[in-house]
Amino acid sequence: MDDDFAIQTFNLTRFFGTLVAVDGIELNIKKGELFALLGPNGAGKTTTINMLCCLLKPTSGTATVLGYDINQQPYRVKEIIGVSPQETVISERLNSLENLNLIGRIHGIDARELKIRSQQLLEIMGLSERAKDQVRKFSGGMKRRLNIMMALIHNPKILFLDEPTLGLDPQARRAIWDYIVQLKGERTILLTTHYMDEADFLADRIGIMDKGKVVALGTSTELKISMLGKHTMIIYAWNLTQKVIKEMRSKYAEVEVTDGTMIITDKKLDFREIVDLLHSSGAVVRSAYIKEPTLDDVFLHITGTELRE
Amino acid sequence: MRFWELCLRNLKENYRDPLGLGFLLGFPLLFMLLFGLAFGGEATSTFPIGVIDNDHSQISQAFADEALAEVPVFELSTYDDTTDAEKDLKFGDLSAYITIPRGFGQQVAQNWQGEETDVILQMTYDESDITISEQIISIVNAVTRSFARIEVPVTVNANPIHIETEITYIDFMGPGIIIFGLLILIPTSARIMVRDKEKGFLSRLLTTPARPLDFISGYSLCLVAIAIVQIIIFIAAAWGFGMDIVGSLWLAFLVFFLVGLCSIGIGMVVASLSKSENQAEPLCWLFAMPLAMLSGCWFSIDMLPSYLRYIALAFPYAHAIDASRGVLTRGVGIEAIGTDFIFLVGWAVVIFVVGIFLFRRTMRS
Repeated sequence: MDDDFAIQTFNLTRFFGTLVAVDGIELNIKKGELFALLGPNGAGKTTTINMLCCLLKPTSGTATVLGYDINQQPYRVKEIIGVSPQETVISERLNSLENLNLIGRIHGIDARELKIRSQQLLEIMGLSERAKDQVRKFSGGMKRRLNIMMALIHNPKILFLDEPTLGLDPQARRAIWDYIVQLKGERTILLTTHYMDEADFLADRIGIMDKGKVVALGTSTELKISMLGKHTMIIYAWNLTQKVIKEMRSKYAEVEVTDGTMIITDKKLDFREIVDLLHSSGAVVRSAYIKEPTLDDVFLHITGTELRE
Repeated sequence: MRFWELCLRNLKENYRDPLGLGFLLGFPLLFMLLFGLAFGGEATSTFPIGVIDNDHSQISQAFADEALAEVPVFELSTYDDTTDAEKDLKFGDLSAYITIPRGFGQQVAQNWQGEETDVILQMTYDESDITISEQIISIVNAVTRSFARIEVPVTVNANPIHIETEITYIDFMGPGIIIFGLLILIPTSARIMVRDKEKGFLSRLLTTPARPLDFISGYSLCLVAIAIVQIIIFIAAAWGFGMDIVGSLWLAFLVFFLVGLCSIGIGMVVASLSKSENQAEPLCWLFAMPLAMLSGCWFSIDMLPSYLRYIALAFPYAHAIDASRGVLTRGVGIEAIGTDFIFLVGWAVVIFVVGIFLFRRTMRS
């Protein structure tokens, strides 16, 4: 067993009836790393997390969390993890302090430390003023923040965040991202998401999951480099003539034109040559740029389908 | 003390939910109110009672003419021998007749002098009309005890004979209705846990180091608090509607408490087996309804065919009704209901062990 790894899975597999939800994945997540599992709904991300936090039994294979086997030592695993579930699950008629204290006390945190930690967390998450209000009156964003705080109150070494920003508006998402960034490095975080920008922004390494398998693995840049064989240029222009479109199509592999926007894709693109050609044809180029590949492109490239449903 | 934290959380959740709390406390009240209005009134009607004095002592005469005659619901008539009395009982002119045996006066006199002696009375009544006989026995018992100034229950040699009648009274029905009310704790208990299961809160707690025992006791303790309040409401309401409490109130309370515990245990088993309220609800009624039928709270289980009676006696409810009727209406003590009592304790222990076992089995699917 390698001491550098916080989470290791060994051919971890889970069936639901005949449906294979997680198909023999092998993951090695380093200590202190923020690892994101990225994939569409139904890819097996939550099933993976649920197996790692001992809610679901693997059909075959196993995993270790800081060296503890999830099948053999589930209670040891539960002592060192914090889980923020995909659904917001909080005790609706307790206030936020009571919710935090409940989880803290079950983990055996002593009262003094608990008080300090809960106040800290409430402050960081901006819920101090509403600490004594029953949480059922909270907005979706506030509940979501509390949902994450409840995974953190006992200062776990391993943190599972299952779709931490699901269903939030961009502003609230951003606030949670900022907070997750602050948590990085202190502890190991396994995050699942189906937002590419979220994985891109937060993760040290990304595992792309599809149909129960990890189909690509690496840092955001590494994943995008795998796409470097292909470039895309996007041009917004007026007066695009059929003639120049035809000419472009003869020169480059893929040319798409919709309503003043031209998207050119090929292994090699010469920015100046393209702009000059357009100008000489009488088109007025308003803007033009070479697009960096996104994780969505990576996903499309690997699985042949778009990440968005 | 994880279970205690879980219990506190459950108590807060329920206490702060006005609608739910209203149901938990309002249901016993409403239930007893309807029951009291339906049956309470009839308790005022009178019983024609025959008295045969075979002792012919001053004391036995005083007992018949003063002590028994003072009971407002008794209409006394004296008989010289049993033949006439039995005829009137069969025609329904009498609810029961009491035979004062030879030596009664002496027994009472001894008790007056501080010498504790058994006091024996004989009573003959219509067997089919349990409601009347239970009440008459309890009244005769109480009257005799106060007359003879004794603490111990009087030995009433009851001699039932079978005659068809159909009247019911609150003293007979009271304990049964209370136990039916406590049967409703099955769905109540199951709902409280399954609600957390359905919302995913239980899953969240299952990622903490809390053990199955913590969960079961955390939910059960909260429900025990609810059960205690319900029992107090039940007893107070039944008493308010005229149910006599002849025996020890604490003993009756303890019997009801044990039944409540068994219901909570069954609720925990159902909750462990179901994934959602939609699953738990029918499962609960599948338990609760037949158990109510077989408990004897609506009709005496003596009327059931013997195989059904065995099934009925395998569950705690029939035992509890027997025991609580004994305590409340006949004033018997712990020694008389010992077997029922032990059965109830045993049942509660077993059902909780099963609950914890099932919870452990289903917590990680």
